Amino acid sequence: MTETTKKGWYDKHYKKLLFIPAILLVFSLIFLFQFNAKNGDLILTDVSITGGTTISVFDAKTDINDLKQGLSLEFPDSVIRGISNIRTGEQQGFFVETKATPEEIRPFLESYLGYELTTENSSTEFTGNALSSSFYQQLRLAVIIAFILMAIVVFVIFRTFVPSFAVILSAFMDIVFTIVLLDLLNFNLSIGGIVALLMLIGYSVDTDIMLTSRILRKKDVSLNKRMAGALKTGLTMTLTSIVAIAISLAIIFNFSETLRQMFTILLIGLGFDILNTWVANASILKWYAEAKNLG
Amino acid sequence: MKITFRIWILIIVLVLSLIAIRPSFESGVLIKSVDRDSKIAEEGIRQGEIIKGVNGEKISSLEDYAKVMNSIFSTEGEKRIDITTKERTYIILTNETPKIVVGKISQTNIQTGLDIRGGARALVQPDQELTDSELKDLIDISSNRFNVFGISDVKIRGVSDLSGNKFMLVEIAGATPTDLEDLISQQGKFEARIKDQIVFVGGNEDITSVCRNDATCSGVQSCTPFQGGYSCSFAFTIYLSGEAAQRHANITGSLGLDSESGGRYLNENLTLILDEEIVDELRISSGLKGQATTQISIQGSGQGATQEEAFENARSDMHHLQTVLITGSLPYKLTIVKLDTISPVLGDQFVFLILLAGTASIVAVGLIVLIRYRKFKASAALLLTSFSELIIILGFAALIKWNLDLPSIAGILATIGTGVDQQIVILDEARTNKQSNIKQRMKNALFVVMTAYLTALFALIPLYWAGAGLFKGFAITSIIGITAGVLITRPAFADMIRKMEE
Repeated sequence: MTETTKKGWYDKHYKKLLFIPAILLVFSLIFLFQFNAKNGDLILTDVSITGGTTISVFDAKTDINDLKQGLSLEFPDSVIRGISNIRTGEQQGFFVETKATPEEIRPFLESYLGYELTTENSSTEFTGNALSSSFYQQLRLAVIIAFILMAIVVFVIFRTFVPSFAVILSAFMDIVFTIVLLDLLNFNLSIGGIVALLMLIGYSVDTDIMLTSRILRKKDVSLNKRMAGALKTGLTMTLTSIVAIAISLAIIFNFSETLRQMFTILLIGLGFDILNTWVANASILKWYAEAKNLG
Repeated sequence: MKITFRIWILIIVLVLSLIAIRPSFESGVLIKSVDRDSKIAEEGIRQGEIIKGVNGEKISSLEDYAKVMNSIFSTEGEKRIDITTKERTYIILTNETPKIVVGKISQTNIQTGLDIRGGARALVQPDQELTDSELKDLIDISSNRFNVFGISDVKIRGVSDLSGNKFMLVEIAGATPTDLEDLISQQGKFEARIKDQIVFVGGNEDITSVCRNDATCSGVQSCTPFQGGYSCSFAFTIYLSGEAAQRHANITGSLGLDSESGGRYLNENLTLILDEEIVDELRISSGLKGQATTQISIQGSGQGATQEEAFENARSDMHHLQTVLITGSLPYKLTIVKLDTISPVLGDQFVFLILLAGTASIVAVGLIVLIRYRKFKASAALLLTSFSELIIILGFAALIKWNLDLPSIAGILATIGTGVDQQIVILDEARTNKQSNIKQRMKNALFVVMTAYLTALFALIPLYWAGAGLFKGFAITSIIGITAGVLITRPAFADMIRKMEE
């Protein structure tokens, strides 16, 4: 009995449900438009994109807060974070990110630490200004091309406009909402972070494709039953992905900045994917299927 | 359960992957490079040999090797060292540690990238657009320079990016030389001038040979206090070609004698210039006037706060100058646009964390599937499939000798993650809608898998070229993974589930 009332409610209101993602999308686009006007870009970027240096120093004894104060005077743009051992939880070192070159930041750290930085006790990553801007442009281009290629594949395979468009819209919203949340959290994206946005394209369409194929290709049971079945499968898919990524994120959290950022972005994106697949894409498909009498 | 054709394929590919990975349990230390001009090289020891013992003591780790060498050279004087490798024993008499670089024996054929085992990576951009053959020349000269300098574990290749810019990518495994930047990007344009006339330039056209590693004609000579610190001077002999010697004769022939020195020297100096900076000015003794001399002593100096530092600087400057004189100058001005030096210190811990993250994720996913479907066999099959995928990716990476760097690892984790998604599609399809037959249902599931594969594949392609190929690793491992998934593991998994359902 509850099952039928649920379905009844969904049948009545599914079109209204579309307002949720639609409103979110409109606000997100307005937000991004303003963000872009203010910051000159859709996202905030870190030194791997703007150009600069990341130095990791493997020193268990440094007082990070003390160093932070010293650093903020000389290198106001610098960011410092601890590196710790997952097994013991103890500090293993720290890393500093700054727009300065290694030649500028290294002497400061050396005089603070009282010893020379070598490859035995530190890692240095430097990206020059000229390269970073072209890298960034190319990665942005790669994300756009990836998105377009994905869209073409979806159109070629499903060969119908509305369902294909719904899949692509859902992937688009995953990325847009993720970027908006990252901006709201003042998240500085690294190159790895942009690669993660690209990964999101691949991750997020899986559930949409499964849903679309269940609705369009199989007509053995009722439309609502097909949708409910797809929902169950899809939520299991997303849940397993979220759990797998959350576990990986927890393990490398204080160890690899690149992977930490990639996993965080995937996690956010997958969260939005639940909304976009099961509210936006599902409602559009149901609307389409009912109009075309595919029930 | 009957093993179907598709499951057989999975088993065969798994076995092949394990063969490609080839775990080894050999003990000892691996010789990673041998200094070409060292005594030990003359004995015939080669890169790639595995040291099993030194002076009768068993060597099973790098620590053992360091300990034995330290104890041998704890006292001064010439020592006899018997190095036993897997093939034979080499005996040398020397007063310094053998000039070889040793490293851990790799346990598998899987090659890890710089992010894990440490090293340096530089992306270098020429100041002008190069053709493919110009880029190749640049790479040849640079490789030669590294060889002459004594760094053998270096990979140099040309890369280009989405906008067609060409770069030279230099990757050095292990320890990073301190003057790496100079070595990579310094143009190394060496000229010896008298007034504004060039006598000779660096490279093998004018210089037939350069003395080095021979104390009779090359070395740091004397150190003296200098400006509150120390200055040490070095000198080494070079041999000029006949043509360059004749040039020397012609130019010096027209010079007069320097009256201040009482006629002992000529009135102009021989100025040594490296990349438009004066290295040293040498006085020319009057006896050389108009002589076609083929032997010239190059001098210079290094400074430092302490005598040791000055000595070390002089030695390294000399080594550098010798390298440049031998290899000649690079044809283009270069800019280092990216330089990463990664410490090997945390590498092992990193590998551990990655394996932990991978295993914990797969097991957690297995548990979720077990709770959701309450089928032990199906969950086990899912776990097995995910692990096989991991092994196939690693096996293929080992086969094509792909260096697993950070992007590659991220790609592997991502692939296993999406792989699980698709297995769930298969599992669910098998359980539900039992009105149609299982074969049809598996076909439906594989349609979804195939579509998802194509979208992911096309999405990954641009990444292969973007950013001068530094993210290639991500694209490569992901493409291997999803392709193996769609061709091998997923069909096999579908068969396993089908057999369980039937």
